[in-house]
Amino acid sequence: MLRFTLRRLAELALVFLGVTFAIYAAVFALPGDPIASLGGDRPLAPDVAERIRAVYHLNDPLWSQYLRYLGRLLTGDLGTDFHGRSVAERLATRWPVTIRLALTAWVIQVVVGVGLGLLAGLRKNTWIDRSVLVLTILIASVPVFVLAATAQLVFGVRLALLPIAGISDGWPLSYLLPATTLAVYGLAAVARLTRGSVAETMGSDHVRALWARGLSRRRVIGIHVLRNSSIPVLTFLAVDLGFLLGGAVVTEGIFNLPGVGQLLFQSIRSHEGPTVVGIATALIIVFLLSSALVDLLNSLLDPRIRHD
Amino acid sequence: MKRALGAALSCLLVLSSCAPNQPADEPRKAISYAVEEPITLHPGRQTIAFAQDMVLFSGLTFAGKDGAITFRNAESVTSTDAVRWTIKLRPRWTFHNGEPVTAKSYVKAWSAVAYGPNAWENSGQLANIAGYDALNPANGKPAATELSGLKIVDDLTFTVTLKSPDGQFPAQLSQAQTGFYPLPEAAYADPAAFAKNPIGNGPFRMTQPYRETEPMTVDRYDGYQGPQPSVDEITFKPYTDMNTAYTDVQAGATDILYVPNSRMGQVKKDFGDRAHVFQGLAISYLGLPLWDKRYQDIRVRQAISLAIDREAVSKAIFDGIWEPATALTPPAQPGTPRGLCGDLCTFDPVRARKLLAEAGGFSGTMEIRFPGGFGRDDLFNAYANQLRQNLGIKDVTAKPTADFPEFFELRTGAKLSGPYFARWGALYASQQNTLRAIYTRTGGCSNCVPDHDPAIAQLIAKADAQVDPQRAIAGYVDVQKAILKRFPAPPMFFEKNVFATSERIASLDEGAGLTLENTTLVR
Repeated sequence: MLRFTLRRLAELALVFLGVTFAIYAAVFALPGDPIASLGGDRPLAPDVAERIRAVYHLNDPLWSQYLRYLGRLLTGDLGTDFHGRSVAERLATRWPVTIRLALTAWVIQVVVGVGLGLLAGLRKNTWIDRSVLVLTILIASVPVFVLAATAQLVFGVRLALLPIAGISDGWPLSYLLPATTLAVYGLAAVARLTRGSVAETMGSDHVRALWARGLSRRRVIGIHVLRNSSIPVLTFLAVDLGFLLGGAVVTEGIFNLPGVGQLLFQSIRSHEGPTVVGIATALIIVFLLSSALVDLLNSLLDPRIRHD
Repeated sequence: MKRALGAALSCLLVLSSCAPNQPADEPRKAISYAVEEPITLHPGRQTIAFAQDMVLFSGLTFAGKDGAITFRNAESVTSTDAVRWTIKLRPRWTFHNGEPVTAKSYVKAWSAVAYGPNAWENSGQLANIAGYDALNPANGKPAATELSGLKIVDDLTFTVTLKSPDGQFPAQLSQAQTGFYPLPEAAYADPAAFAKNPIGNGPFRMTQPYRETEPMTVDRYDGYQGPQPSVDEITFKPYTDMNTAYTDVQAGATDILYVPNSRMGQVKKDFGDRAHVFQGLAISYLGLPLWDKRYQDIRVRQAISLAIDREAVSKAIFDGIWEPATALTPPAQPGTPRGLCGDLCTFDPVRARKLLAEAGGFSGTMEIRFPGGFGRDDLFNAYANQLRQNLGIKDVTAKPTADFPEFFELRTGAKLSGPYFARWGALYASQQNTLRAIYTRTGGCSNCVPDHDPAIAQLIAKADAQVDPQRAIAGYVDVQKAILKRFPAPPMFFEKNVFATSERIASLDEGAGLTLENTTLVR
């Protein structure tokens, strides 16, 4: 386990360096001068732009900018954007929004997805099974902005049931529409995985043995089938949580949720290298943590999986 | 809940401010306005917080609907030679913290805005004041810290000396030129804190510091000496996507919205008489690459102008809201000679083809470029279709750049090979602003046509030197006539400011732009 952990850490450091440099270079390579367009389509006076450029060392070569950034990063300083706002502070106000959104969407996926999958798996090859398949795939194949805009018009404008933008109504009200929109796209996968796994377990020898021993339906399905068919589903759900936490750029944008995804989008548009790399770094950590969690969960659920 | 409590508390603390505004039987008049994230509220620095700063501060002058200038914090702004200006302030004006607004509040603020090392974004607005160059040397730290052109005469009077005569100076002091606002003493100790919690001299004051991503509420300031606003409270709600704000106004969650280009085609259908179309200070051109040989013959440029049916384009894309341009400046700038462009700005495909043929035709592809993500894709695709059909050029494409920075780079580097996005939104209502921005080298419109002819610059300077408004207007019309003879690029549309409102709003008030504080509510 120790060697495994050390190897994981070494990998983490490498991935970290590689990815931060790649992203820094990518933002650096974007065509155009971010300072010249700070004022939208009404550009700044050239000498003002030049002074701001000097403040942020934008005239230096890429490697020197990156090393300066990395040096500060190692002391825990994420730097500032071109308006002098602290990247760490901006991220800190936005994480809670993204975490709330991701968790809400994730819970919807777990409850609805596993529920539908279980239903389909237990009623294999019936009309229920097929309608679950068709329905989940149908919804997931609608582009996200179409689905989001439709949801806004129906539930926000026509029925006036739910707020459609911002977080001023708090959790859960403000998060219901965006989280549902977001969850829909993982539903098909969760439901299919659960169905397949449940169907397979139902047909396995040890479950037949359980039936033969006269256990109640609730016990067999609730405990033995669910647990044994949960490994692939849990793996997927853990990775999916990582994705959800990565900030749903489009969903956060359409529903005006001030989360990490929205910040990432704005920062890329305005060529804010330090902010983009700061967010990316945080996201890498989230991904690495969630994949480590998957490994751990797998070995807990199935003693045959070992890391040594 | 917290906010309501906070408001109640601040009411208790400043009893005087609640009592007169709120007779027991009349509810507080509160409105909300959809904005972009303002980033900074510092008037010397903001580039997108106009709506907020225009209610937190009051400028020296105010431009009305027709561009007419009236005095606001100033009692008078006078000059006999357009170089030396005397500004007298109205007495008894105070900042929201009670500090009197004096000549020093202006003189010190302008020096700070102009001071190079501060690198405040709006410093360019003050570039024509004597001493500006000394504060902005090419290299190194400036020796001076104050604008030498400003002199305090007494508490309420100061004089301004300009580098070159400029009769439009009073117009430059109007509401959207926030670089000319006064600042209280509290602004200098910690500019970053002031940018989040500005103390102004305007009709509204902050209730709590601005916090990123959160709505910001301003409250009526009872010590305000200017015209009284009709609402008591304004909440600015930040949106990253104005299309979302549009839907939110439809749902009634927000009251007022500046309608984005992408929704202009449907706003009348969606909002009916709750869609308000106001005159704008922006004009759209179709930029042409004068550095490319194929566009150097004036007949080619005229042919392009004649080949586009402006009316049909506006009808198809903007529901007819944008007005086909017939002059080189928008009509909200006083004296704009509507119709001056004459035949050249009308749709005449036969003459267009004839002119193009006379000029020797057009070879190769015509690639139109414009900044992407700005809601103008349909417009430029329409231009492409019109040019393809009406000029008979087979290969016309319209391609967006990734964003504004990329577009600026292509344009300023003269790396565009076809027609392109070119527009100027003026900050004050004078033809000077638009003509200067587009047709002088230091004008600043870096997306416009680079046609910087010294003779034109001289004509502009001649009009600038007129103190008398009518003579100045005549001068700018002469400028337009001279430019039209060169025809560097066709003017396309007088853009409009379109606002959509929720059912709570009875009327909006039009100044040069929207005068938010004069909004009235349905009773």
